[in-house]
Amino acid sequence: MPELQTTNFGTVAFTPESVFEFPRGLPGFEERRRFVPVQNPASAPILFLQSLEEPSLCFVTLPVLVVDPVYRLRILEPDLEILQWKAGCQPRIGEDVLCLAVLSFQPSGPTANLLAPVVVNLRNHQAVQAVAPESDYSHQHALFPREAAVCS
Amino acid sequence: MLMMSRRQGETILIGDEIEIVIAHIGRSRVKVGIRAPRQTPVIAQEVKLVSEENRAAAQAPPPAVLRALVAQLQPAAHTLRPPSDEGSVRQDAGTKT
Repeated sequence: MPELQTTNFGTVAFTPESVFEFPRGLPGFEERRRFVPVQNPASAPILFLQSLEEPSLCFVTLPVLVVDPVYRLRILEPDLEILQWKAGCQPRIGEDVLCLAVLSFQPSGPTANLLAPVVVNLRNHQAVQAVAPESDYSHQHALFPREAAVCS
Repeated sequence: MLMMSRRQGETILIGDEIEIVIAHIGRSRVKVGIRAPRQTPVIAQEVKLVSEENRAAAQAPPPAVLRALVAQLQPAAHTLRPPSDEGSVRQDAGTKT
């Protein structure tokens, strides 16, 4: 099994079939095309997306339905093409695609990018960060709105 | 902001090198053609937002921050729908050293 040196997890073993292929990279990281999903039982349901090409590059994500159980996925045609998914029909979260919200850690608390979920075709592992310009979703959706926040 | 009314097929010029054509007007969206020098980046505003957000998100947070997040997620993950249907992809557990 191939192994990968990472800044966050040390050495990670992975199977080549588990790799997510981003033919266009991600916005801001257009040259980073291959990521390995890393799940640590202690930090479930968080899923880390570890770059195969840059040991220090790692995104922290959550399944989009954990963030918003009624999330509506709307993928534009160019992104469907990247996923090699037939045009005119949206894939279903969980059945056809894995849909992940990228987290970012602001001083005010963690936020999830619902404007542009990472979508992975479960059949071929082709992946894209699908910007949904016509949705009302925020790129900084607060995971724990202020009232509900548990302050330490 | 300068506002201009244009019909389908009409063009706006910005300086000598940038040309914007209103290619098609639909019910709720317009298709715009843009001709600009190669070195002028042209992207949708959302893509820039996502790009900045990705840069901010690109490093895993300190373990303590992550632990706090997981602790906060636990009750939520039980009351909300569990991500069981997201688990069908095979994932390799990371080994923390």
